[in-house]
Amino acid sequence: MLGAVGLSLTYGLSGFPNFAHAEFITLGAFIGYAVADQLGLGLPAALVVAFLVTGVVGFLCYRGIFQPLAKRGATIIHLMVASIALGFILRHSIGAIWSWRPLYFTTSWPAFDLGPIRVTGLWLLLIFVAVALAFVMHLILTKTKIGKAIRATSSNPELALASGINIDRVIWITWFVGGGLAAIAGIFRAADTQIWPMTGWDIILPMFAVAILGGIGNFYGAIVAALIVGLAENIGVVALAALGLSTSYRIGIAFVILIVTLIIKPQGLAMLFRRA
Amino acid sequence: MDPLLYGLDLVVFIGIFGIVALSLNLEFGFAGLANFGKVAFFLVGAYTYALLSQIGVPFSLCLIAGALISALFGLLVALPTLKLRLDYLAISVLAFGEILRLIVKSESWIAGGDWGISVAPAISIAGASPRVGVLVNIGLVYFCLLICFVIAQLLANSPYGRVVRAIREDEIAAEALGKDRAKYKAQIFMIGSAMAGVAGGLYVQYLHYVLPGMFMPMVTFTVWIMVLLGGPANNWGALLGAVLVELFKYGTNLAKPILPIDPVNLQYILFGALIILVLFYRPQGLLKESPIKTKALELARYGRTVAKNKGS
Repeated sequence: MLGAVGLSLTYGLSGFPNFAHAEFITLGAFIGYAVADQLGLGLPAALVVAFLVTGVVGFLCYRGIFQPLAKRGATIIHLMVASIALGFILRHSIGAIWSWRPLYFTTSWPAFDLGPIRVTGLWLLLIFVAVALAFVMHLILTKTKIGKAIRATSSNPELALASGINIDRVIWITWFVGGGLAAIAGIFRAADTQIWPMTGWDIILPMFAVAILGGIGNFYGAIVAALIVGLAENIGVVALAALGLSTSYRIGIAFVILIVTLIIKPQGLAMLFRRA
Repeated sequence: MDPLLYGLDLVVFIGIFGIVALSLNLEFGFAGLANFGKVAFFLVGAYTYALLSQIGVPFSLCLIAGALISALFGLLVALPTLKLRLDYLAISVLAFGEILRLIVKSESWIAGGDWGISVAPAISIAGASPRVGVLVNIGLVYFCLLICFVIAQLLANSPYGRVVRAIREDEIAAEALGKDRAKYKAQIFMIGSAMAGVAGGLYVQYLHYVLPGMFMPMVTFTVWIMVLLGGPANNWGALLGAVLVELFKYGTNLAKPILPIDPVNLQYILFGALIILVLFYRPQGLLKESPIKTKALELARYGRTVAKNKGS
């Protein structure tokens, strides 16, 4: 969910899907791993450092590559290809530094049973961080000047520009926040499973499903959509197992949601949040 | 390893990926469709070939069936997605490719799942040396490449090709002139998919095996690099791109012992940097869009030179 929110916001503001978002997630996860495990500073420090570093990387990528390209009149296809190319550079640089073998966070989490379900401390922390971040984002988007500027630019860039909003700066900040959120998503994903250079790419398609179902650039839509896609995947996995199919099809569920949304209602759930 | 064999191997790969690059060029260069799932149709052709050749169908029929079934898949994908915006099309086709790869990976009854199956070569001559085998393959691959190239050139220079370019430039204007844009796009998509299917068949019969790991999204983007580098909407450019990219791949593999980092990583880092540089400094590629050739234009040019000669 955290990753998809960042993807959706940058997609909405810059007008093209950033496939390198997957690599922001991976990069965040590896930085988190380096700070928490290799330096031994613990998870909270890892979250903060990864947020900042990946955020800056996201900003630099936009400022250094996509913004100049767009100014030169690149089409949306060119921007998408450039984001994939950037993804290659990041992914294989990560591969060259940390190698392609999967790594694991060594921190162990206390686990306890809630009825039939086993809950780990990591999940509780994840839920806490996700809710806290969603709340903070909500406050920023509704109460602060920059948050209002982000929403204004997302819904109508020309009007925002005409009202004296510095659109470029708004987009830079969004890329910073988007990269940072991706990093946090990456760390939790990596701590829960494993970490390797494809960490981000493995979950990019469900994230696109979330971004599109929620309505591109729509923060609240993305949160609701993340819940829907997450639930659908987990229910779907049970259903798949019952049907005797491989559970690796869970990514297919997100794909079906994606296609159905695109065909029926390409603007996604955004219409539910018109006045939000 | 035999250096000559290594060189011939390169020639075969240039031919196979030349076909894929031509097909992407039709879709992206001429029709402006962002097919980010090229590998899906490559996969369909490859698996069709592998499965049919197992039950003893002759190789030419396997290749043709691969093309037809790929075209059918192309149509299936095109119907719901082609009316969407360009970016949605790109995402959904990319997702389609990943799903197909997952299916052949987890359904081991189709073709061995993750481990793949071996594929019989198209033409096997008893007792022939590896070099002769590769030469036979070169003949086969370049024969297919020639057919695809002729088709692509004919399409590009025909009235049909002009309509397709018109749709790329301005959909609404083309529609206003009575051209059904969805139909044209779907047709181009099917032709492109069919070509990719043939290339997939050639690929697996040359390698003698097929497995899901051969069809990562990387393949799609390697082909994108070929088309963008060589020059979109120029069939010679697509071929040039295929030659350059394959040469580069082989070059880095050869340089493996003297490089400080793993050449596979380096390859993709350089590919990424290359694409971004091309987009920055030469978005039209090495070769510009080929001008349209028609009888009328030729006559007009002829008339102009005649008039000039008379005047002087």
